[in-house]
Amino acid sequence: METSKSTSTGGESAVSHLGQVAEALIFGADEAVRPERIAEVFADVRGVDRPSNADVERAIDELNGLYEATGRSLRIHPWAEGYRMATIPEVAPYLKSFLDLQRTRRLSRSLMETLAVVAYKQPVTKPEVDFVRGVDSDYALRKLMELEMVDVVGRSDAVGRPLFYGTSNTFLEKFGMRNLDALPNLREVEELLSDPAFSSEKARLLMRNSLFDIDAHASPQSPTELPGGDGADLPADPAPPNGSGEPWSGQ
Amino acid sequence: MTYRVRLDQFEGPLDLLLFFIQRDELDIYDIPVARIADEFLEYVRILEQIDLDGVGDFLYMAAVLINIKARMLLPSPELDEEGEPIDPRAELVERLLEYVRYKEAATSLGEHFERRSELFTRGAASADDQLRLAAKPIVESASLFDLVSALRRILTEAPEDEAHDIEAEAYSIEDQQAYVRAILLRESPASFLAMVMHRSKSFIITTFLAVLEMARQGALTLAMAGTENDFFLEATEDLETVDITDGVPHTDQEPD
Repeated sequence: METSKSTSTGGESAVSHLGQVAEALIFGADEAVRPERIAEVFADVRGVDRPSNADVERAIDELNGLYEATGRSLRIHPWAEGYRMATIPEVAPYLKSFLDLQRTRRLSRSLMETLAVVAYKQPVTKPEVDFVRGVDSDYALRKLMELEMVDVVGRSDAVGRPLFYGTSNTFLEKFGMRNLDALPNLREVEELLSDPAFSSEKARLLMRNSLFDIDAHASPQSPTELPGGDGADLPADPAPPNGSGEPWSGQ
Repeated sequence: MTYRVRLDQFEGPLDLLLFFIQRDELDIYDIPVARIADEFLEYVRILEQIDLDGVGDFLYMAAVLINIKARMLLPSPELDEEGEPIDPRAELVERLLEYVRYKEAATSLGEHFERRSELFTRGAASADDQLRLAAKPIVESASLFDLVSALRRILTEAPEDEAHDIEAEAYSIEDQQAYVRAILLRESPASFLAMVMHRSKSFIITTFLAVLEMARQGALTLAMAGTENDFFLEATEDLETVDITDGVPHTDQEPD
């Protein structure tokens, strides 16, 4: 049987067949694609042995290396236990303008708080979430379920068998995390209190919305102003002046 | 249907306690509960007066504080199994600190989210619509309780409403949003106090709710003034675009 080898006559192509297939599936999918799934499809169609997850990972690394070397605006990220293709941050202003997004998207304070409690304490019941926050979290939980960030993951054995809530794969994807181990560490109380910077730290934590907080928030400033579409070429001048030194800017 | 501003979108009772602790630079392990309980109740009364949804959680916390206050007045302290005196405040302190941990975690998760939001996947245009609706910028540079403090002072000086006022709802939040917007389009930043000077209590309260709602929609930002009985409103670039003539964004307020 004719193999697909003949199609890539270029010869000097740096992408392996597995890489091509992985790229195609990840491009075509609406959600993160697990490496097992890529390997399975590859093996099924080509009638070969299943590549290992490490093979898939290597192929993805190759692709990313190639994207970077050739100045492409896409990267493949290991999110939600799988792979997802996304644009690089440098082109975000263009996409926001194109999609008419007026501001950087953000979840409200109550949603973020509720999500944090669910993420770190899962599986967790609603009364437990309410207790940590000191407020009824019914609305926030419903909203998070609507956004598919939170799911019912079971029932507690406690009296009344209350529902257990947990975070979803959508949560991992929307927060750019491979899995729950990628959650930032929840700092211990002792650590917070013994922090030599606690007085200023305290100000920051305890009064998140206060006036004193402006500096602390100014750093991750997001460009709300989009550069005008005055013919600027894509690779040049990728971000407004304040967007310099982003950790991902591919070198 | 009357439109209500949901308090839980802003701050909760634990935030109010942390607000006092921060403002008075209190030692979190040595909170003067008697004083704080009284002030907490005063704030709850204001919150009740402006009729925000979600005051129940504050009432519950007020009850907790009063309970602690009462236990601290007992002549002989309660003892634990080892005969050590129990600080009636210990449980509350533990809870506050635990809450601070999650607040911090929420902030750092929020940064993850914002960073990830700069990366676009295929289909982001349609799939993320929902998220755009959910994007609710918070009151940026003033805590809700700073605002309530200011409101409390303004209200004590406001003339009483006419006693024979039969129309219960003389002002609507929608009208007051239009009023605030008109002022801000002319002058920004603008003083809240100047906006409601010599007006009735119901006018002040409705305007206050309108301001909160507009802050939540990102049409304006709030900052405390130098004096403690006023704050400033500043228009954002969204003031023009946020649709307030239609009044309420029903997207997430709809009671089911």
